[in-house]
Amino acid sequence: MMLGSLAAKNVLGRNRVRTLLTIAAVAVTIFVFILLRTFITAWTAGAEHAAQDRIATRHKVSFVIALPKSYADKIQMNKDSLGVTDVTWCNWFGGKHPQRESDFFATIAVDPQSFLRVYDEIQLSPEERESWVQNRRGAVIGDALAKKFDWKVGDSITLEGTIYPGNWEFEISGIYTAARRSVDRSTLWFHWNYINESVGQRAKDQIGWLVSRVEDASRTAEVSKNIDAMFEDRGEQTTSMSERALQTSFLGMVSAILTTINVISVVILAIMMLILGNTIAMAVRERTNEYGMMRAIGFAPRHIATMVVGEALTIGLLGGLLALVLAYPMIEQGMGRFLEETMGGFFPYFRISGSTVIAALVLATALGALAAAIPAIRAARLNVVDALRRVG
Amino acid sequence: MSEAQSAQCAADEERQGEQGVYRGTKEVKTIVKLKGVSKVYWRGKEKVEVLHDLDLAVPEGAFEALMGPSGSGKTTLLNLIAGLDVPSSGSVRVADAQLETMGEAGRTKWRAENIGFVFQTYNLLPVLTAQQNVELPLLLANLSSSERKRRAQTALKIVGLEDRVRHRPGELSGGQQQRVTIARAIVNDPKIIVADEPTGDLDRHNADEILNLLDKLNREFEKTILMVTHDPAAAERASHRRHLDKGKLQ
Repeated sequence: MMLGSLAAKNVLGRNRVRTLLTIAAVAVTIFVFILLRTFITAWTAGAEHAAQDRIATRHKVSFVIALPKSYADKIQMNKDSLGVTDVTWCNWFGGKHPQRESDFFATIAVDPQSFLRVYDEIQLSPEERESWVQNRRGAVIGDALAKKFDWKVGDSITLEGTIYPGNWEFEISGIYTAARRSVDRSTLWFHWNYINESVGQRAKDQIGWLVSRVEDASRTAEVSKNIDAMFEDRGEQTTSMSERALQTSFLGMVSAILTTINVISVVILAIMMLILGNTIAMAVRERTNEYGMMRAIGFAPRHIATMVVGEALTIGLLGGLLALVLAYPMIEQGMGRFLEETMGGFFPYFRISGSTVIAALVLATALGALAAAIPAIRAARLNVVDALRRVG
Repeated sequence: MSEAQSAQCAADEERQGEQGVYRGTKEVKTIVKLKGVSKVYWRGKEKVEVLHDLDLAVPEGAFEALMGPSGSGKTTLLNLIAGLDVPSSGSVRVADAQLETMGEAGRTKWRAENIGFVFQTYNLLPVLTAQQNVELPLLLANLSSSERKRRAQTALKIVGLEDRVRHRPGELSGGQQQRVTIARAIVNDPKIIVADEPTGDLDRHNADEILNLLDKLNREFEKTILMVTHDPAAAERASHRRHLDKGKLQ
């Protein structure tokens, strides 16, 4: 038996109801902390895991103003001088499931061949790729979307167009998974030609944005500048930036929300500290007589302080572990799956990160120790004679 | 104690020297020597003098009872001898250590090596077994776990609780708990055992058992025992009794 095990016995051996309630309170606060941190990491995952060798080019004025498809051809023709290896284009379609209009998911028209070259993290079997490329009405969907609507390869589906009115029929050619966490697994990608051939003359050969893959990731800023310079004297001027910079600029729009979540995380931890500090202070007060006895028989103030801090560490660690035990099934399996399926655009990868696990455990124990600092100092400074005189 | 024994003790006291006392023809070392000791407390602005210019010498191996009315300063005197407190003035020399000159850390270490404590309310840790409670003082010594265990079991055997090593205090009677406290007090082989009302919470039968045990420790293990008690029957078991009243030894 050492002081550490004595601290653990004190935690687990006395006043079990109070100890369990305190551990539960720590667990709940750490659980909320894990949830909030996972929100933040999931939200920033797009920027964090975005490809560094891809450049997105949009209209200089706004993302919603279209660009001529000929811009893609121009970049393709000058790819060597620009330092670009490939280029593709995308167009926001804005389709909805007619029966489930409130269930949002992205529908984007692309050129399948160049799209799959530029977005090589999209994982499809060779058969699915071939099927999609060959079928003008073919579409590929993310596994999260497939699960959500119970769509399977070969299914014919009808979407209601919002930007392009009418009912649009598609055939599911494949279900993709993603090799990169920034990829939304609830998007439907389909042939740009399908809408381009269906729209009127004025809307023909228009695209939403371009995506170029660069030879050297460290030169994205320079290549972006060169692409924009190429279209400077055109009617539609462009703004190009790396995919990461684009995602970061999106995050900038919600920075206030992210800051608020961060502040709430800190407040939650402060509440945990107060709960734990109160419990430890009560325990110290109740055991004054015992500490007096220990001091009398030769234990030094540091031994008493170590024991008190040890008790708080034990409660903090147990609370942290319990929070993780709860968080994994609830966040990873329940909430995470739901958000990936329903809000994959915002949370493409809603999972508890390793750094969040470490932070939760370290903070639970470290803040536990910090919460016990004042009671520990008071216990260590007890006058032995006074402590022995105290009853209960 | 018989009249003859009392007379012998009185004669011993008269022959106290600076270095020791004489018992018959054998020179006995003085293990506790207090000289001009005063202890003052402040209750708000009121000065309370608990001990006043007190002199005391206790020979090594003695079993002394300290009696007196409540508030007479018995426990304060015991605390000074045990190194739990320091005098406001005067000198306290116990087991070759000048306690009033030592710092808190020094006295803490000294207590661990020289003093065994027996409290009225036992002060056992309820989460530990009898054996673990007895092991507690040994955590401060550089001993292996098996050695600590062995010594704790030996101490429990001395107090007759070898069959209760795994029992927690809540599973033991008051008398048994006090015996565990005594085992804890002797496990690190201290020179002096201080007992503050050791039988105060016990019935007559259990009190007698505890007093028998203290007597055994004094006679067989040559421990110096200083016992504060209100109980005349308990004091009767000591080899010498002192009366304290209003901070002065009578």
